Amino acid sequence: MANIAAQRIKREFKEVIKSEEVAKCAIKLELVDNNYTELKGEIAGPPDTPYEGGNFVLEIKVPETYPFNPPKVRFITKIWHPNISSVTGAICLDILKDQWAAAMTLRTVLLSLQALLSAAEPDDPQDAVVARQYKENLDMFKLTARHWTNAYAGGPSVNSECDDKIKRLVDMGIEEHQARVALSSYNWDLERATEQLFS
Amino acid sequence: MGFEINRFQGDVDEELICPICSAVLEDPLQAPECEHVFCKACITQWISRQPTCPVDRQNLTSAQLTQVPRILRNLLARLTISCDNAQYGCTRVLNLDTLSTHLEECEHNPKRPVLCEQGCALVIPKDELKDHNCIKELRSLITKQQQKMNEYQHEFHELRFFILEQRREMQLLKDFMRALKTSNPSMRAIADAMDRDAQDREVVRWSNSLQRARVTRWGGMISTPDDALQRMIKRTLTEMGCPIHILDDLMENCHECRWPPGLCSLETRQNNRRQYENYVCKRVPGKQAVLVLHCDNQHMGEDMMVEPGLVMIFAHGVE
Ligand SMILES: [Zn+2]
Ligand SMILES: [Zn+2]
Ligand SMILES: [Zn+2]
Repeated sequence: MANIAAQRIKREFKEVIKSEEVAKCAIKLELVDNNYTELKGEIAGPPDTPYEGGNFVLEIKVPETYPFNPPKVRFITKIWHPNISSVTGAICLDILKDQWAAAMTLRTVLLSLQALLSAAEPDDPQDAVVARQYKENLDMFKLTARHWTNAYAGGPSVNSECDDKIKRLVDMGIEEHQARVALSSYNWDLERATEQLFS
Repeated sequence: MGFEINRFQGDVDEELICPICSAVLEDPLQAPECEHVFCKACITQWISRQPTCPVDRQNLTSAQLTQVPRILRNLLARLTISCDNAQYGCTRVLNLDTLSTHLEECEHNPKRPVLCEQGCALVIPKDELKDHNCIKELRSLITKQQQKMNEYQHEFHELRFFILEQRREMQLLKDFMRALKTSNPSMRAIADAMDRDAQDREVVRWSNSLQRARVTRWGGMISTPDDALQRMIKRTLTEMGCPIHILDDLMENCHECRWPPGLCSLETRQNNRRQYENYVCKRVPGKQAVLVLHCDNQHMGEDMMVEPGLVMIFAHGVE
């Protein structure tokens, strides 16, 4: 790995560890390997959002050309959000693409992602299904996102209606995550989800 | 890429850190409006990807970058840093502005070139000295040179082949020209004229390479040299690089029997002796003789000149 990238990450790692956000448990950063090419990030779901109470794990890969190119970041924790793929965890955020600037740091990236959870951009979507639901039925979106936060990110809010519907599909031999995706995509309409799963 | 922070003594002010490499500024340059400062290498690399300030993304080109203020340069110069070769045993701690001078002469530089004193006399980096083996090094040198020699040999063969090809082609062309010349009279005339031109030019070139001579005593002229004298003249002309096609004619023109009407007898010579001074003569080195070439003497009348020129031998009186 180029010297400059390792040097930067080393310093940024220390910067994050010392930061007040870490002190407040809002963000976290861990090394995955010893040569500073891969890290694990974690952000807390912001208050007053469907993600509140959840912890979201991120995979951070540092390219050799860092900081001249942005780090490659994706969500490991499954999440229901218009700008994050519910399938791959890929993120649509300008600073991780053409709006990256060499003086930005892993800390700014983590804080920007946290901000993205507070303020989605449904007009610049990564996941078209989620974005459509967000625009057409915001309450349904919030309910779904909250349910995903509970299911995957350790969020506190349990929705027994959702859990029941998933159980019905699981009893029919459908895998749990697959059942959740189908129900989420069809606004928790059990009939249509079943139809899609068995068609 | 700047200097690693942990090489400095004491704390380094945040202002002196490059926001790109997060090390202490090296050859710093400044953006004009926002006044953000970066290492020269860092900002150049960033701008080559995207012409913006890496901190605030305002437009920024390489041409807009300026020197940083003197105060900043002084602050940097006064920082104390350990030598690059600290891990190899250099304990020097210097001001940043004297680091580069020190590095040039640092004893601990593992790559410092040193002379092998065990026999091969090759110059090698210091850190390779302990595993250095003269015979191995020299053998690899020989192998390399052998390789090069093979390459040259190959090249040489190719060139020789190329020359042979050219020669063959030239011969073909010559044959073709000859055939043209014999089958077409106007071609022959052109070719002959070209040949003559080329030969004339050669004589002029030769003449220009010779030194002028002055005859002080025209009365010493030998108008009927014997065979031995004539052979001597021919040998000398050959040594002087006389063009082959005029050699025999010139040599034979050293006797009055071949001279023009104005010179061919004692009587005509007596009549024309005042014109002698008008001849342009060239020296025949080491001999009491001069060359009077036609190409140098077109101002003389036909009475006094013949092609391609004549040779005058004297008993004495040539300078
Ligand atoms: Zn720098
Ligand atoms: Zn700037
Ligand atoms: Zn040193």
